[in-house]
Amino acid sequence: MTDRSRSYSTEGIVLRRRNIGEADSILTLFSLHEGKFDAVARGVRKAKSRMRGHLEPLTRVQVHVARGRSLDVFTQAETIEAHRALKADLERMNLALYCAELADRFTIDRVEQRPIYELLVDVFHALDGGASAQAARYFELHLLAITGYEAQLDACAVCRQKLPEEETLISGPAGGLVCRACRPAASSGRILSVRAVKVLRYGRTATIHQFDNLRLDDTLERELRAALGDLVRPVLDRELNTTRYMDALERADRIPALSPNHVQSDQSNPVPPEP
Amino acid sequence: MAEGSSTPEPIQRLVESFHRLPGIGPKSAQRLAYHILRTSEQEASALARAILDVKQRIRLCSQCMNITESDPCGYCRDERRDRSVVCVVEQPLDVLAIERSGGYRGLYHVLHGVLSPMDGIGPEHIHVRELVVRLQAGEIQEVIMATNPSLEGEATAMYVQRLIGPAGVKVTRLARGLPSGADLEYTDDVTLARALEGRQEV
Ligand SMILES: [Zn+2]
Ligand SMILES: [Zn+2]
Repeated sequence: MTDRSRSYSTEGIVLRRRNIGEADSILTLFSLHEGKFDAVARGVRKAKSRMRGHLEPLTRVQVHVARGRSLDVFTQAETIEAHRALKADLERMNLALYCAELADRFTIDRVEQRPIYELLVDVFHALDGGASAQAARYFELHLLAITGYEAQLDACAVCRQKLPEEETLISGPAGGLVCRACRPAASSGRILSVRAVKVLRYGRTATIHQFDNLRLDDTLERELRAALGDLVRPVLDRELNTTRYMDALERADRIPALSPNHVQSDQSNPVPPEP
Repeated sequence: MAEGSSTPEPIQRLVESFHRLPGIGPKSAQRLAYHILRTSEQEASALARAILDVKQRIRLCSQCMNITESDPCGYCRDERRDRSVVCVVEQPLDVLAIERSGGYRGLYHVLHGVLSPMDGIGPEHIHVRELVVRLQAGEIQEVIMATNPSLEGEATAMYVQRLIGPAGVKVTRLARGLPSGADLEYTDDVTLARALEGRQEV
């Protein structure tokens, strides 16, 4: 970082892309050596660009970057892992994009964050290999821990007393589990089952593959998603775009789609989105 | 950016309007505004009229959502076109690109956008329900997803497949010759024609 030479090389994961002008894009790269940064890829949307295809979101790339006056410029890009399988599955693509946005929001520009980078690489690898939404839960749990927001799961987050093995309140603002006596002190929270508490504790030391191999039923899955969402939310200043998007997909799914025995419907009045 | 208070208000307003356009930075906005200032009044009002006409006379075709002056649009009215195939594109310019390639004689559907998870853009922001409504008439046998081979374009294609696939409508995707990350709008005609021929079932 102190090296102000005119260019540098690093590997990274493309977190985001914004198109500008006729054929340029600005990409947010979460890199191994330089941390997160924005740089411009000139002409990347043209048919003849050699970098096109390598600088797609969710792709792990090796890049060469020239320092610019305001924005750095990608001069070379080569794919390390395209994560083709995860990009070919709507559900897993959404999970990966969600993790990418979390990584984006939990990091600041130009600060090397190797543990988070390696965690993201692992999660993408797992998702590419067919992992479920549990991979995203694993990412949330460990991202919180790495960034200093480790969920308090052994003792009460308020009074530090040891917790009995029972349904326990988990509170985002308190930062973890809260004992019965301290419940009034927690501003918000939800009751977590004994099973869910155990899964979260296990997740701290398990590998991502061990964690993904846990067979969780839908109820438990939803419980964990809600609990980790509660823990993540207080750290973020605003809602994630990917969360907004996934909620919109779910809403749209509730509108009956085309059925095999479809009937002529009122064409003059397209279905408005649900509120 | 440094528009001092000495700049007359109408010029400031014009600069700001130009600056809001895609791809126009503060410097270009200023240059354009001062250019307008120097042009003749006829030229300036022709531009103003053209802008208003676009807003007042152009609307969306009620069938394919393409931009048109008359509804239904020319493509939807054309009896010689194959009514069993619909090519789904992101934007009106993509229709022109595909027409230029000469490799397609079916109908279109313009989404006016793509699903963009990173920007929070979901199905309600694009004209995808209208496609489902069109399919309910039962005439359409195949839907060709010609969204860009970008992450957003792929997400949109997968979403449409999930939405209409169960109804037994064949969903195909432009494939060969279109490297990922490309913009359809900037793809050459030969590549595009080949991509249409080589489309694959999703
Ligand atoms: Zn307590
Ligand atoms: Zn039309």
